[in-house]
Amino acid sequence: MTSNLDTTSRSAGDRARARAYYRDFFPAIAGYTVVLLAVIAWGGLDGTASSRFVWALLPLLPALLVVRAVVRHLRRIDDYQQTLLLRGLATGFAVAMASAITLGLLETGGLQVDGAGWLVYGAGMAGWGAAALGGCR
Amino acid sequence: MKNRLKLLREARGWSQGVLADRLDVSRQTVNALETGRYDPSLPLAFRIARLFEEPIEAIFDPGQDEAAAVGARGADAR
Repeated sequence: MTSNLDTTSRSAGDRARARAYYRDFFPAIAGYTVVLLAVIAWGGLDGTASSRFVWALLPLLPALLVVRAVVRHLRRIDDYQQTLLLRGLATGFAVAMASAITLGLLETGGLQVDGAGWLVYGAGMAGWGAAALGGCR
Repeated sequence: MKNRLKLLREARGWSQGVLADRLDVSRQTVNALETGRYDPSLPLAFRIARLFEEPIEAIFDPGQDEAAAVGARGADAR
């Protein structure tokens, strides 16, 4: 029999930690999106000036704020949640490495893979997400 | 590791969220503890014992884990 003691709603502490994370994360990801769109629109990335590389790397600055949000969240959560989060990150890293090696070998074999860096990034994020979903069960 | 956490919590009429706040952990962690998917760290085990005013060994039962560890230590000593 299910009672109200079995509720799966988050605790007050969970909500406070989530709010603190959102306060860090959402401005950072919004900043990243704005800078990325601005760079694509006005960065002259398809030109020949060497300054285009500086523009191309500009979204890294707000991306660092996203990393900061995750690190600060990692420090706020308890041991068990840290284990789950770090396990997810480790899985994402392993998937990204495997993808990088696979793409590298394919390129060695003569296959030209466009956007290989983004493929590695996507694979790593997918690995992290899958591991996080598995840990939440 | 088996434990009596759920019984102790329900005896006090607390939800998992309430217990989580009292232990300063997440509800997810309380659920993992109750279902035996997570063995608490020593500081957390002491916090649980203090909260329920019972010794740690009255709440947590290492069961086969301890028997296996003792067996392994015995095998190493031989």
